[in-house]
Amino acid sequence: MVRDRSRAVTRPPGARETSGQATRKLTLSLTQRNSLLGYLLVAPVLVCLSLLVVYPFLFAIWISFTDRTVGAEGRFIGLGNYAYLLWQPSFQATIWNTVVLVGVVQTLKLAAGLGVAVLLNQPIRGRRFWRGLVLLPWAMPAFVAFITWKLLYAPQGGAFNLVLLGLGLVDSHVDFLSTKALAMPSVIVATFWRGFPFWVISFLAALQSVPRELYEAAAIDGAGAWQRFHHVTLPSIRHVVLVVLLLSTIWTTNGFENVWLLTQGGPSDATMTFPVLAYLGLQSLRIGEAAAVSVSMLPIFAMLALFVAKLLQEE
Amino acid sequence: MSPRLSPMRKVVTYGLLGLLALIVLFPIYYMILISLKLPKDIYRTPSLWLQGATLKNYVDLLTTQNFLVNIRNSLVVAGAATIVSVFISCLAAYSLVRLKYRYRSWIGRLILLSYLTPASLLFIPLSVIIARLGLGNTLHGLILIYLTFAAPLSTWLLMGFFRGIPADLEEQAMVDGARRLGALFRIVLPLSAPGLVAVSVFTFTGAWNELLLALIFTTSPDIRTVPVALQYLITGDVFRWGLIMAGAVTAAVPVMVLYYLAQRFMVEGLAAGSVKG
Repeated sequence: MVRDRSRAVTRPPGARETSGQATRKLTLSLTQRNSLLGYLLVAPVLVCLSLLVVYPFLFAIWISFTDRTVGAEGRFIGLGNYAYLLWQPSFQATIWNTVVLVGVVQTLKLAAGLGVAVLLNQPIRGRRFWRGLVLLPWAMPAFVAFITWKLLYAPQGGAFNLVLLGLGLVDSHVDFLSTKALAMPSVIVATFWRGFPFWVISFLAALQSVPRELYEAAAIDGAGAWQRFHHVTLPSIRHVVLVVLLLSTIWTTNGFENVWLLTQGGPSDATMTFPVLAYLGLQSLRIGEAAAVSVSMLPIFAMLALFVAKLLQEE
Repeated sequence: MSPRLSPMRKVVTYGLLGLLALIVLFPIYYMILISLKLPKDIYRTPSLWLQGATLKNYVDLLTTQNFLVNIRNSLVVAGAATIVSVFISCLAAYSLVRLKYRYRSWIGRLILLSYLTPASLLFIPLSVIIARLGLGNTLHGLILIYLTFAAPLSTWLLMGFFRGIPADLEEQAMVDGARRLGALFRIVLPLSAPGLVAVSVFTFTGAWNELLLALIFTTSPDIRTVPVALQYLITGDVFRWGLIMAGAVTAAVPVMVLYYLAQRFMVEGLAAGSVKG
């Protein structure tokens, strides 16, 4: 639509030259006017982000070095909060849980994302329908998805217990979310379900932009299906895979809804993650300590964010 | 596309597609199913099928649970955040795409990094700042807070749309005597109307779906948004699953429909799905 209209506009002959001369005469002042206008137009967003992102970001780091509580400014205690946290079992559990949760979920998403994208990239009927279907969990609000999974796992009224009992696979109700060994796998499955469509859709778009000739040439050279995937498909979608992996890792590490709505970090910290621990710290009014919890994610976040920002701006 | 699959591959492909449909649809099916059941059917005669649908949960939700107030709050917050954010983002995105000045690329980088910065890093200092401004526990405060993710998101997406509009068109308008801003409002914005719709929808759904910040900044019952209200229903002692699922369906359906409509306007691929989630 955009393209059609641009073609419809015809340039009156000679107009270009006149404007060129006019611009040259006024070059300096026009450039200045343009840059002034540029600053003015970008100012509202810039002010808003300085106040709501940059300042809070730096403020968080400062707070994490104080023993601030609600109602008391607190004083500078250096690395006191961090030293205290390192000896806390809940903080140690949080580090380990995050590694497990993010590691397993991202591996599953990568495998399923590639697999389903390849599946949907075949000559199947109604591809648009299947694409729309896969997108459903992602289009759904995260809080709705995780409340629904809480119901699926529920001992009373939950679908999984209904099926397991009905098939005679278990003798009594399984309490997925309150059993220490089952809580983390349950959170992982739900997090995977909600997140994998983003990978599928991104990979599918990338696959569809790989030129057919490359495959044909590879086939003529006698490459098998696996070799074609390895030597043609993977190199062509490498960039997209990397961007998706980084973006999704930032989102997954900082996800709050999944753990909060399913387990609130329990049972006994078995599913505790940084955002939930920081939120609980804020609820217990120990602001300095809570800030230290969220700031301890900062080094990893900064690394991922700078890397993905570089990749996105190259595009 | 050459519609050729060997019979064997056809069986495997459609078998896998069936499995995929089951995995995606079963939770959604169960959510809707439970929302249509009475408590006695849910707990005493549990079943994967529907035995006599009832809308009682939906009626209860709207009449006894104050849910209409929650919906109103969500509409106000998400609507206002979207309008403010899309307006200031149009100006910023135009400036960053079309005008040349110093530090432009640094500002672009800052916006992208702000978009990537998760709320979990910011909510603690924000709670101090909002309390200091006297905006704690107000919808105004929440609208302001939502600009943390709404403004960078809409600016970033709009920059993509504005880049797709040929600069010649504006030069043309300016030759005809229009000023820069005139060109923005008369040429660029109308041409990117589909983009504006899509960006508005994504910003709106982002705000409608937000839980963490809403949980912190809206404490009293009369200003709770939809996600917060549902959160309180599942952290109580008794789970009224029928009622909760009626709330979940009500909260999900409108934004999912919007999401699908807007998605068609987006360029395929990354941009189409890249809403923080």
